[in-house]
Amino acid sequence: MKKLALILCLFAGGLLLVNAHHLPMWGDPASPASLHVSPFYIENAYEHTQAPNMVAVVLADYRSYDTMFEAAVVLTAGLACFFLLRTKGRKQIGPQYYRHIPTGVTLRIEEGGKLPPEDSKVFRPIDTLWTPFDPIIRTTCRCLIPFLQIYSLYVLAHGHYSPGGGFQAGVVLGATIILLAISRNLKTAIHRMNERVTALFSIIGVAIFAGTGTLCLLLGMDFLNYDILAPFLLSDTVMARSHSILIVEIGVTMAVMAVMVWIYYNLSSAGQQDEGL
Amino acid sequence: MLFVNTLIALLLLAGCLFLVGGAVGILRMPDFYTRLHAASLLDTTALICLLGAAILYVLTQHPDLNGVITSLKIILIAVFVFITSPTATHAIVDAGMRAGGKPWTRKNEEKQI
Repeated sequence: MKKLALILCLFAGGLLLVNAHHLPMWGDPASPASLHVSPFYIENAYEHTQAPNMVAVVLADYRSYDTMFEAAVVLTAGLACFFLLRTKGRKQIGPQYYRHIPTGVTLRIEEGGKLPPEDSKVFRPIDTLWTPFDPIIRTTCRCLIPFLQIYSLYVLAHGHYSPGGGFQAGVVLGATIILLAISRNLKTAIHRMNERVTALFSIIGVAIFAGTGTLCLLLGMDFLNYDILAPFLLSDTVMARSHSILIVEIGVTMAVMAVMVWIYYNLSSAGQQDEGL
Repeated sequence: MLFVNTLIALLLLAGCLFLVGGAVGILRMPDFYTRLHAASLLDTTALICLLGAAILYVLTQHPDLNGVITSLKIILIAVFVFITSPTATHAIVDAGMRAGGKPWTRKNEEKQI
């Protein structure tokens, strides 16, 4: 069986290699991809939008339907994770039992009683062997998270000029929250950004994108044709496109960030959202 | 010029050698901790060599302000890797200790994880 797999691998790889020289050269002006659509974008992108980064223009202006539904797909992934995993938080009457992960001790909490913070000094007498969470990891994350968040905002705001844009900024921003949850615990992250906020942000993000398009439609233009928004953005039609790309990218960033955090919350705690990793 | 180019080539070669060494270390070392040791140390060393080659190349190709700014950015990458890579290794080793993995010695060779 292994030999068969090896032969199949070699055969498939050889087939690809044999056919590789039929592909057009990289950057060949006569290749089919460079004949029809690309020259139009390359020649007109800057005049239409005043944005030097052509990729951002294609993504958020020429092909914004595509991008809008990509954001919607991201939102759908978050919703699917939520509906599949989230267990219903039932209100318990009477004493509750809570397992404190660092010490492995199960605590009985009377009704109405409050749980002390995860790493407070209350737990220290329980387990003399327990060392508190690592200060090295915490300090590193504490130093890195603000820089990462500022960098993600830079990626978002600078998307017109250099590689970057909504999706990348959202991923970096969401990763900072997940980093917080990893370096502390899930409770701290949820305390900073709770589940309702993640759900709202992901929906608002898609709504900003779709709402911009609908606004154009209501004003009498095509869906997502930003020209008509010029009076609202206090600019001419060309700069209106440029500004609208930024608005749309902000929506994408919010959606991606919130959905990432939301999926992490549900996956890491198996839908319980109480203890987590 | 030839000297600098040779230096760049040597640095790139050294970086590649270190990366190969790290990969061999991950495959051949006896237990979790030594594998991690090989991976983290050799990867960091390889990164110094590769980024040093990149800085030299940028400075020789563009000996103006843009080149200096680009090489500063590359140095920033190195700084961030120097902060994060040891911390990541530390976190993984910490998790291994908490999970109860004993470091490998000749005596407890059979009981390795």
